[in-house]
Amino acid sequence: MSTTTSRRTTSAPGGSRRSARPDRAAWGFLLPFVALFLFTFVLPLGYAVYQSLLTPVRSGPLGLGPATLGFAGLDNYALALQQSAFLESFARVLLFGLVQIPVMLLLSTALALALDTLSHRWAGILRAAYFLPYGVPGVIASILWGFLYVPGVSPIVDLLGKVGLAPDFLGYDNVLWSIANIVIWEFAGYNMLVIVAQLKAIPQELYEAARIDGASTWQTAVRIKLPLARPALVLTGVFSIIGTLQLFAEPLVIKPLTSTVTNSYTPNLSAYNEAFANNNIYLAAAESVILALVASVLSFGFLSLVNRKERRDAR
Amino acid sequence: MDTSAPSRRAVLRWGAGTAAALAAAPALTACGEAVGAARTTRQAPTRRGQKVKLVFWTWVPMQKTVDLWNRTHPDIQVEMQTIPANVQGGYQKMHSSLTAGNPPDLAQVEYHELPGFMLVNGLTNLSDYGADELRDSYVPWQWQQGVFDGKVYTVPQASGPMGLFYRRDLFAKWGIETPTTWAEFEQAARVVKARGNGARLCAFAPNQPTWFAAMCWQRGARWVRTEGDTWIADMDNDLSREVADYWERMVRDDLVFVEPDMSSAWYKHVQTGKIAAWVGPQWGDALLRGNAPGTAGKWRVALLPQWKAGQNASANWGGSSTAILQGTRHPREALRFAHWINTDRKAVDLNISVGYGWPAATGIFRGSALDKPDPFFGGQRYNDVFTVSDRTIDTSWKWSPTTDADFAQLQDAFGASIAGDGSLAGSLAIAQKRTVDNLLAKGLKARSAR
Repeated sequence: MSTTTSRRTTSAPGGSRRSARPDRAAWGFLLPFVALFLFTFVLPLGYAVYQSLLTPVRSGPLGLGPATLGFAGLDNYALALQQSAFLESFARVLLFGLVQIPVMLLLSTALALALDTLSHRWAGILRAAYFLPYGVPGVIASILWGFLYVPGVSPIVDLLGKVGLAPDFLGYDNVLWSIANIVIWEFAGYNMLVIVAQLKAIPQELYEAARIDGASTWQTAVRIKLPLARPALVLTGVFSIIGTLQLFAEPLVIKPLTSTVTNSYTPNLSAYNEAFANNNIYLAAAESVILALVASVLSFGFLSLVNRKERRDAR
Repeated sequence: MDTSAPSRRAVLRWGAGTAAALAAAPALTACGEAVGAARTTRQAPTRRGQKVKLVFWTWVPMQKTVDLWNRTHPDIQVEMQTIPANVQGGYQKMHSSLTAGNPPDLAQVEYHELPGFMLVNGLTNLSDYGADELRDSYVPWQWQQGVFDGKVYTVPQASGPMGLFYRRDLFAKWGIETPTTWAEFEQAARVVKARGNGARLCAFAPNQPTWFAAMCWQRGARWVRTEGDTWIADMDNDLSREVADYWERMVRDDLVFVEPDMSSAWYKHVQTGKIAAWVGPQWGDALLRGNAPGTAGKWRVALLPQWKAGQNASANWGGSSTAILQGTRHPREALRFAHWINTDRKAVDLNISVGYGWPAATGIFRGSALDKPDPFFGGQRYNDVFTVSDRTIDTSWKWSPTTDADFAQLQDAFGASIAGDGSLAGSLAIAQKRTVDNLLAKGLKARSAR
């Protein structure tokens, strides 16, 4: 309660005065961020865009003579978009996201709500336990799960085989969902933590009021907690959309285990292979820029969608 | 908003239009910036008594060989740096170092990567430094892998002549004779399926286009050739399709496991005797020895099965050279080291002990560490088989400068066909088309063979 009042007193009059004359001190504090942002984000992005517009021009017998860089216009983009495998990779991650994001967010929300109602000592231990997978690097997690998927090595496959089931976790139709399973295992706990933090920020008075009004635990969760946890849900949703499009480490690690994960299984993997296996950095740059564009369109699209709904709801 | 957005087609058209317009205006092109090596090799003058230091990048653990060189050659000290193996990042590191102008003096480069390095002017023309005199020390076809336009660009190191590794105990148990033709090999596979209690003769690895290329190589196919200044992709030919159809039948009739080789599942099958044979390269001996020690003494090696009885054709899988990268200041010293590490008897023996492959130096096999009975292969002098195999490799096989990309796409097509989408033979047609695309994307002239 005290924090709300203090914020109100400082921000109301001060805010209007400061907006008239930008504070030098604020710029001073921002400078390290702006510098880092420019050097690690804007500059590489600009360089990628620049490279995506170039193409080598060859000379000499069989093109093995010296080469120079020429301007390609949007040829690299055209080439990328003509590759059916690259377009399919987008369709694949979109399908992946359509299934994986709702499943993961539902799971995270359910866990968060459950933990929020549990007694404190247990909640702390369980929260740490659920969060633990996030501490495991994605590559390690994928290796770990990879072993659990491979027949002949995996105890799970062996056990299921003994009871007459013969799941092919790495088969053509299943491997995408096996990867989704790894991603959910990794990130459900992390998203849960974000939602829990938001739930903790809800003033206890609301719960007291609800209890006095005779609301059940279920009603409190659905009518009070969920609407108030909305910012956290939106945030985790955006993270998940971006994460889905950037899907990379999991399929890369699973790839040697099965022929069903192709070299352009996800857009990121495709760009990676263009750059690192085919040494075609110009096409790779174009593919990366396309990926960045799609990711920003989808995440900003999602944000504006939920914000518009929020504004309409507020009215 | 939707109405103002240009359609994809319009954007592409605009792109093509601007590209054409801008290409015509030289002022707007990227100022003639060079592609690839930023620094050109130039011999630095050395004073008497001055120590030369060379940096050597490799993923083969050859430190002992390098130590021996450093002990015996105090004036030229070599520092070996271990890099990630081949396409797992090693080559990209080399390409980046070339572009950045700080390459190592020497690096290990596989034969099929050499045209790709030529494309970025990444290798030193060793003919300028007397490399042609060394020619007689090496197996001719391996030497030729590093010769472009009559000039020598690398020193060959090792290769992988193919053979048939098989479990003699299991063959005896199931009453199988060692197959000498591919027809007999298929027959053997049927017997194993019938009597093997879940075992298979071998595995088909859709992830291994280099292996499949070797199979086509043996059949007599040639995947790449040049006509004038044009590269010609020719994967989709009758001979390769015959090979593809053969393995298609093996897969469809469930005569082989379908799984990536050298993977945990494959090793498990090898360890437990579920796989009774492997059509593999000479360097595969180290893989079997290291990953299935429990099967020691039960393995034997035979020549590759033939397409026609009485033929004697083999092929190669893998193989590397010691390349002297563009930009070194000590090409003469680097060439001396490269020649020594690949021909000195002690050096070769040390290399063999770490499984570097089949020596590229001629006449070095006799009396080397490879030339003795091996308990893992039941006391067989199994390398005698590879000596014959090595002699019968058709040496006219050529690689494209885009091998990695071509093979990645062949691998993807294989994966799809195994999952029921197309056939192995159809994959060859896809790969051929993609190869042409890849070559064109690099700014080369290219077309399909038909």
